[in-house]
Amino acid sequence: MSKPADLVQGTLDLLILKILALQPLNGFAVSQRLKQVSGEVLQVSDGSLYPALHKLEQEGWISAEWKITDNNRRAKFYSLTRLGRRQLEREAGNWGRLSAAISRVLRLRET
Amino acid sequence: MPLYRWFRSLPLGLRSLFRREVDDRELDDELHYHLDLKIEENIAKGMTPQQARRDAKVELGGVEQVKEQVRGARTGAWLGTLLQDIRFGLRMLRKNPGFTAVAVLTLALGIGANTAIFSVVDAVLLRPLPFSNPSRLVMVWEAFPKLNHPKLSFSPPDFVSLERAQQSFEGIGGYREEFVDISGQGQPEQVTAARVSASLFPVLGVGPAVGHVFAAEDDTPGNRVVLLSYGLWRSRYAGDSHIVGRTIDIDRQPYMVVGVMPKTFAFPLPGPDGITTPAVLWIPMAFEPSELHDWGRLYATSVIARLKPDVTLEQARSEVASLAAPIFANYSAGAAGRFHNVRLELSVNPLRDEISGPVRTLLLVLMAAVSMLLLIICANVATLLISRGASRQKEIAIRTALGATQSRLLRQMLTESLLLALAGGALGFALAVWGKDLLLSLVPEDVLLPHQVSIDGRVTAFIVAVSCLTAIFFGLAPAYQASKVSLEGHLRESSRGGTPGRASHRLQDLLVILEFALALVLVVASGLLIRSFTKLLATDPGFRPDHVLTLSLPLPVEAYPKAVQIREFYQQVFDRVSVLPGVKDAGLASDLPIELGNLVRIDDEDPNQASRPSPGVPETWAMGDYFQVTGIALIEGRWFTPEDRLGTQPVAIVSQSMARYFWPGQDAIGKQIRWGQPDSPWQTVVGVVGDVNDPAYGQPGKSHVYSPYLQLSDQWVQENVYGTWRALHLIVRTQSDPGALTSAVVAQIHSLDPDFAVASIRTMTQVMDSTVAGPKFNTFLLGVLGGMALLLASIGIYGVLAHVVARQTHEFGIRMALGAERRDVLVLVLSKGLRLAAWGTLGGVACALVLTRLMSDMLYGVSSTDPATFIGVVIVLLTVALLACYIPARRATRVDPMVALRHE
Repeated sequence: MSKPADLVQGTLDLLILKILALQPLNGFAVSQRLKQVSGEVLQVSDGSLYPALHKLEQEGWISAEWKITDNNRRAKFYSLTRLGRRQLEREAGNWGRLSAAISRVLRLRET
Repeated sequence: MPLYRWFRSLPLGLRSLFRREVDDRELDDELHYHLDLKIEENIAKGMTPQQARRDAKVELGGVEQVKEQVRGARTGAWLGTLLQDIRFGLRMLRKNPGFTAVAVLTLALGIGANTAIFSVVDAVLLRPLPFSNPSRLVMVWEAFPKLNHPKLSFSPPDFVSLERAQQSFEGIGGYREEFVDISGQGQPEQVTAARVSASLFPVLGVGPAVGHVFAAEDDTPGNRVVLLSYGLWRSRYAGDSHIVGRTIDIDRQPYMVVGVMPKTFAFPLPGPDGITTPAVLWIPMAFEPSELHDWGRLYATSVIARLKPDVTLEQARSEVASLAAPIFANYSAGAAGRFHNVRLELSVNPLRDEISGPVRTLLLVLMAAVSMLLLIICANVATLLISRGASRQKEIAIRTALGATQSRLLRQMLTESLLLALAGGALGFALAVWGKDLLLSLVPEDVLLPHQVSIDGRVTAFIVAVSCLTAIFFGLAPAYQASKVSLEGHLRESSRGGTPGRASHRLQDLLVILEFALALVLVVASGLLIRSFTKLLATDPGFRPDHVLTLSLPLPVEAYPKAVQIREFYQQVFDRVSVLPGVKDAGLASDLPIELGNLVRIDDEDPNQASRPSPGVPETWAMGDYFQVTGIALIEGRWFTPEDRLGTQPVAIVSQSMARYFWPGQDAIGKQIRWGQPDSPWQTVVGVVGDVNDPAYGQPGKSHVYSPYLQLSDQWVQENVYGTWRALHLIVRTQSDPGALTSAVVAQIHSLDPDFAVASIRTMTQVMDSTVAGPKFNTFLLGVLGGMALLLASIGIYGVLAHVVARQTHEFGIRMALGAERRDVLVLVLSKGLRLAAWGTLGGVACALVLTRLMSDMLYGVSSTDPATFIGVVIVLLTVALLACYIPARRATRVDPMVALRHE
């Protein structure tokens, strides 16, 4: 399962929350969007996407709804809840701090 | 999982439980929608429909696998999984009723035995004693190690000196067991009482249920007050609520009841000092001036003390040890001379150790034995599970293919083990409740156990813990093995008709070796006890115990103060009983043969005597036809005659060992001895009799002195501190069943004194039985455990070999097709089984050599590494193994090569 960029634990949740913050989407669309926005760097297998979606739903951060799509098919659409928005802010803040810290470390020069 | 999350996940878990089907359908829809879109996309990219479908599926990773992962990711999924596992587990167990029954029943046996023993261990060794802050309580002892008195209770003057001098204790309390008659209201009865100092109850930290305990001023001579036990108050006085202030008769004297102790209060606890039953009433110690006079003579006051909060046991020990010299300095010159001026020593021991001491070894050995039995059972169930795991490989492979992870499979298998163990535990619990009562009813009286052994919360917790541990122990290895199955490996193996992996063989082999090793240890332990017990029984007691009835006739000092009355009473008893029809001979004596009797110091005229250590010699005062009744053999000289009474030349009879010890190489007849009182007269030895061997003490060839009771001076006969000479035993040799004469004999005694409380009516055979009851009980228990271990181990080896033979049928077929004789196949299978048994036996011998040392003080006349026992047990075990292996081995030889090969 080693991939060029294995997702840091919990990062997938953050990405999904962020994508759903923009608009409600179904699972397939989330998968498409993930690939688009990360420029194929983050390879999320569809297999691990669905367990993550269901976990987020159970945590109450996203809610799901069956809707009819444009091409007239039933699909499950996920959207961010208020709890989820708060979680997103918290996680985004954490991520910012973490990446800033790592960048600082990497910028250290040998003296 | 933290507790709060667990609680939060519970409703979700319950919800998902009920919505399982809806959820599953929706998930299915969702994933198929995803697949469809993906396929459309792939087609749009220019793939053929088949390729598009395949690619989409590969990227998703299989609908069923993803579904399994989603289910696993749901919060609270554990609950659904657990219920699913349990449901599935129950179905599997139901489908294999034979396996389930064997596993559950053996586990129940093992867990039940452990629980029953644990409930006793808990009561004796673990549960706090029924006193306040009992860990601070200690017992204090005196000792004259050089005079072969390593542990003595206190004499009254020494008790008083200790109480005055000590600094380490908050208080010290003294007590002494005594047997008293209660009369007035209802039948007179003899009961166990204790004389206690007023300081005892504060030391124990226990108050009364009704009334009050003794005040300091009660603890003076002449104060006739009594505290009742709850039991006596309920049984004899019907729980009379006005009992305090009432007067009851004790030894025919009126005593005023001052209080009733609580139901839970039991004192003295069985154990130290050979006390077997708690007292039912307590009276003040109130030492008489005569008891405190000079050296006090009687070392019978047990001492319990409570350590001051800031004093450690070690500090108390050194302080008390340093008090020995000043206390001995109080002895008068005469008294000190009596002890040859050897050193007096004092020692301090925690009360807990004193109480658990006598049964500690037995309990630890039993606990070890039942734990080993449980281990054997675990190993047995594990081998069964492995055999079953092999046949479940197809099922497991399919589950793996459908997305079950290894940890998921492991959990499933462990759930099944847990179900087995819990079922075994529940059944074992029932067994323990019943087995505990059975165990306690079998316990002979002289195995000292506390009277409250109960199955309570702690014992239940123990059962649950043992069940779970058991499940993990026997379930983990087989589950791990089974869950590791690889898909390709399985495919290859199943195409060949299935030879299980090498690893599962090796594990099974190890388990069988373990079983045999453990079984050997248990069988050796029981073998040693059986050898020891047969030696005990084979010991010639030196007298004839058959057709002998014995009764104890203690005369209370209040009704019989004078020696004349006492002699008259016993003479009357002898005259009347010896002429009863059915009575051959009758005699009276201060103690029964094989009872230890009174130890006295014997002096003879030899001026060099001081150079020879003079151990205490038991002395028995006899009257009537004592020797004829008991059947002790006369070797030389004569018996006592009615002429040997006060006023004639004092005489004595000595045992053979005594004669050899005192006068080696000389004729004992005519020698002069006297027992260790300066004022006692010299006695001439007129006879030498055979030794009485006490099997319980296992000391053949004991010194013993017999003196005529009627030559004892008034002073000793009416003496009331020892009370030895006013508590003779009546011994009657009968023509037929001795028990049948009981009522006639008792009637004669009651015709002499209607108020007399006759105690301990036993046949001599019963007396003998009770002395070997302890060893008999130990032998019986360990014998049963050893037998079960042997049976289980042989079932284990049979199971493994049967399994091997079944799996290798085709191999035997090929061998025989290639020309192997039936004999060769037989030898092949047998040698495999015997190799395992031999390894186990070897390991077991090594363990047993170390472990049986634990029980060396339970053995008599056999060393804990007795080669005969070890060799015998090894032969028995290997024979049993051979028999267990023979059945499957024979089956292997019956293999028809054609059938075996076609079977593929």
